Amino acid sequence: MSLGKWIRVAGLCGALAVSSLVGASTPMAPSFTLPSRGGDTVSLEQLKGKVVMLNFWASWCGPCRTEMPLLEQMHKRYSSLGFTLLGVNVEADTRDAERWLQETPVSFPVLFDRDSKVSKLYDVSAMPSTVFIDRKGNIRYLHKGYKPGDEGEYLNQIRALLKE
Amino acid sequence: MNKGIAVRLVFALALASSLSACGNIEPWVKPYERQQLADPIMVANPNPVSSAYMDHVYEAREGARGALGGGGGGCGCN
Repeated sequence: MSLGKWIRVAGLCGALAVSSLVGASTPMAPSFTLPSRGGDTVSLEQLKGKVVMLNFWASWCGPCRTEMPLLEQMHKRYSSLGFTLLGVNVEADTRDAERWLQETPVSFPVLFDRDSKVSKLYDVSAMPSTVFIDRKGNIRYLHKGYKPGDEGEYLNQIRALLKE
Repeated sequence: MNKGIAVRLVFALALASSLSACGNIEPWVKPYERQQLADPIMVANPNPVSSAYMDHVYEAREGARGALGGGGGGCGCN
């Protein structure tokens, strides 16, 4: 190949890399199907058109337990406007989670990810992790961990996504 | 001669495979897999409250002790 061709190939490769980076800024949320606490299965595809807040939690995780009642309030307040919260429990043995949920009841669907498939899919690198998915199914915001006061940011982002 | 090359080849392969095992170190236990580690039985100190008092006593009595997480020292009065 001549030098000009090499330069053209390199240019195309560069353009491809740049476009893939731009595309990666709003990645599609990977779809999944998980059994819920109610006994049925919930998949992300059913919820297309809704703003979805995915919360990865565990009963052994202190901050997760702290934010749970706040998440419950958010779900109650915004579920009529096309918002839904999914609590993904990451524990392999869900008995502790069941016990804790009996003391702290929540109305949003709690899903059980016993074999950590969905946690791997979303690359959960902190507990709790909260993922916001817009109506089109794109991941828009990601929160790693929870500290008191973060709920304000959650609320702002829920409102912003609901307005779209 | 051929044997020497074969031995060297085997050695090089063993070295390459053992070195490749050293790459890509990451946390082995993912944050979502900490259920067993988070069990209270995994805590190194089974009685944190009572041992905090005992640590304070040791800090007050023995000058060589300290940094056990308790406050004060010396007279043992705070």
